[in-house]
Amino acid sequence: MKKLPSLFFGILVLFGSAWIGVVAYSYNNLSVLEPLPDEETGGTLPPTLPGLAVIGEKVYAANGCVECHSQQVRLAPLTTDIAKELGKRQTVARDYLRRTTAFPGSNRTGQDLSNYGARNDDANAIHKKLYAPRSVVPWSTMPSYSYLYEVRKIQGQPSNESVVGLTGAAAPKPGYEVVPTQKAKALAAYLLSLNQSYALPEAPPPPAQ
Amino acid sequence: MSAFPSISANTLSTADRARIDASTRGPVLLFFGSALFWLVFGLALETLASVQLILPWFLEGISFLTYGRITQAATTIFAYGFATPAAIGAGIWLASRLCRVELDHHKLLVSAGIVWNLGLLIGASGILSGDSTSLPLLCLPGYSTPILLLSYLLVAIWALLTFFRRGDSPLFVAEWFLFAGLLAFPWLFAAANTLLVWNPVNAPAQPAIAYWFAGGFVNLWLAPMGAAAAFYIIPKASGQPVASHHLDLLGFWTLMLFGSWTAGASLIGGPVPAWIQSAGVAASVMMLVPAFAIGVNLHLTLSGHYATVGWSPALRFLATGIGCLFAYWVLNAINSLPAVNAVTHFSDIGRALTVLAFYGFFAMAASGAIYYIVPRLTGHEWPCHGGVAWHYWLAAVGVGLIVIDLLTGGLIQAYALTNPIVEFRSALDFIWPFRFMSAVGFILLFLSAANFALLFAGILLDTRKNAAPAYLAVREADSTEPVAV
Ligand code: HEC
Repeated sequence: MKKLPSLFFGILVLFGSAWIGVVAYSYNNLSVLEPLPDEETGGTLPPTLPGLAVIGEKVYAANGCVECHSQQVRLAPLTTDIAKELGKRQTVARDYLRRTTAFPGSNRTGQDLSNYGARNDDANAIHKKLYAPRSVVPWSTMPSYSYLYEVRKIQGQPSNESVVGLTGAAAPKPGYEVVPTQKAKALAAYLLSLNQSYALPEAPPPPAQ
Repeated sequence: MSAFPSISANTLSTADRARIDASTRGPVLLFFGSALFWLVFGLALETLASVQLILPWFLEGISFLTYGRITQAATTIFAYGFATPAAIGAGIWLASRLCRVELDHHKLLVSAGIVWNLGLLIGASGILSGDSTSLPLLCLPGYSTPILLLSYLLVAIWALLTFFRRGDSPLFVAEWFLFAGLLAFPWLFAAANTLLVWNPVNAPAQPAIAYWFAGGFVNLWLAPMGAAAAFYIIPKASGQPVASHHLDLLGFWTLMLFGSWTAGASLIGGPVPAWIQSAGVAASVMMLVPAFAIGVNLHLTLSGHYATVGWSPALRFLATGIGCLFAYWVLNAINSLPAVNAVTHFSDIGRALTVLAFYGFFAMAASGAIYYIVPRLTGHEWPCHGGVAWHYWLAAVGVGLIVIDLLTGGLIQAYALTNPIVEFRSALDFIWPFRFMSAVGFILLFLSAANFALLFAGILLDTRKNAAPAYLAVREADSTEPVAV
């Protein structure tokens, strides 16, 4: 190991091997995945997303939800993710196709959200949870995102967008209402769009035990 | 072992050494000083976040202090505010010493230091105000990273000029690690930002690339820079040549090969091709080879001379740091076995390993380097050995508490998260006391960093002129050069 150039090329070759194997391979094979036709509805799989859900992804990123929530159902029977009912099948690369950023996550302080939209289809329930998590689940350690909401005086009729059913300390004072901002509405749309209940050929549901 | 090159006292006179050291003074102190400022600030955020995990109402409902944002800011500040500048600062000094050239591009490097800190300030403020990308170790918003890369470009120009000016002498092992780190960082950082932040590839391809970066950041940037400091300073301060040239070669090349392939082990059973996962598992297990080669080599170098670790702050911190790196690689290999990972992934075990690598290995190793280098630049000693001892013990106990608690708590949490008959809530209940202890650990770490920053301010301001060297115990052995001046 006398000369700088041989050191340089040695490093380049080893480092380049992983660059080609991991980065270039993913780039060439995964970034070109296409949506598949959906025979039942005439649409595509994964389905296209409402524009608001696409905006909501930015709110999800901006507030670091990924630090506590994963978005990947792992392979069975290696893992118990499916037995834990996080989803009916494994998450595969194509599931992220409609997203701008994939958030596989690395910590489950809160539940996996890959199929949150399949468990809940009520935007108001999401707003209650984000505004005051412990008013819904007393033992929750999820922080409140009340800064995505506006508490304002009711002008004439209450807004038809205001969050209903807030109880205890979370309930607004009489004459006031809690209204989601545009960001909160987008985030709720994003959460509702998290749903991998469609079938993909590369991820058949595992046989029932 | 006389056949292989070693930097011995007779190749460089004390006067030459002092001249080289003095020439690096401005930029190195700038990088170290800013690194310590960010270390304290980042640990303050990390401490707040760790309290929020146990008391979710703490500072709740304030957008820029919400848990997600401050953890991401804290990790980012550690990686790019402390670790990277500390590595660059140590790298500048090491390269000047190893290449035996005086530094003559002060303006280039001082500008690099200023631009870097400006970029990070913009980026960290961006994360706190809601512009985070939420990608692992790449949270910096796309408008701040070009500033960091511009700064690194200036560092790279200097590095090229320095390596080209070195004579024809054989390369010392510390030089290989230094060279590899300085080469790997821009590759990793520029490629990952291009493919994931500036002009993102389609989402299905992102996870593999993101973990290629995250693994590379530790294995190909922090690890080589820490190893470079260890392989230079440990022989110097203990007076012992590096034990085995064969282990040097083995450790270095296996680190380069396996270190760059570990990505798939972070996505076992996940949405990437199975062969990338298998390659990642194999590489993470094979990391045992560089772990043992580097660990055993440095152990053999010090064995019989461990008394030096007792009195020399630099050696004590470096040896602890390398010990933690070894433990990190071994635990990571175990955690990468698919059967283990299927259970432990998504538990706090991952957080424990990150703390072990960041605060156990890198912060310790970098502190050791700073203890060794700074007196040689300022021309006088660290203000008081009591402060150094407090720094060491607070950091060691803090890291120990966090890692041990999150590992044991993580195991119980992992069991609850994966056992189909245990309800979700139990996972939160089980981990709570362990997270409580880890919050205590973060408070200790914060105090140790604040203490270190005060010592640094003390040595710059020269509060105690000509005090004796800040040994941690009575000095017994002799080193190849006086500890300072
Ligand atoms: C400190 C960690 C933490 C952060 C950060 C966090 N959560 Fe949670 N989340 C939890 C915990 C713990 C639960 C489970 C208890 C509960 O239901 O409140 C949860 C539950 C949820 C649920 C209900 C899941 C289910 O299956 O019923 C949703 C939806 C959710 N979080 C969305 C979010 C969003 C959106 C963000 C970011 C704005 C976020 N979380 C940030 C910890 C967190």
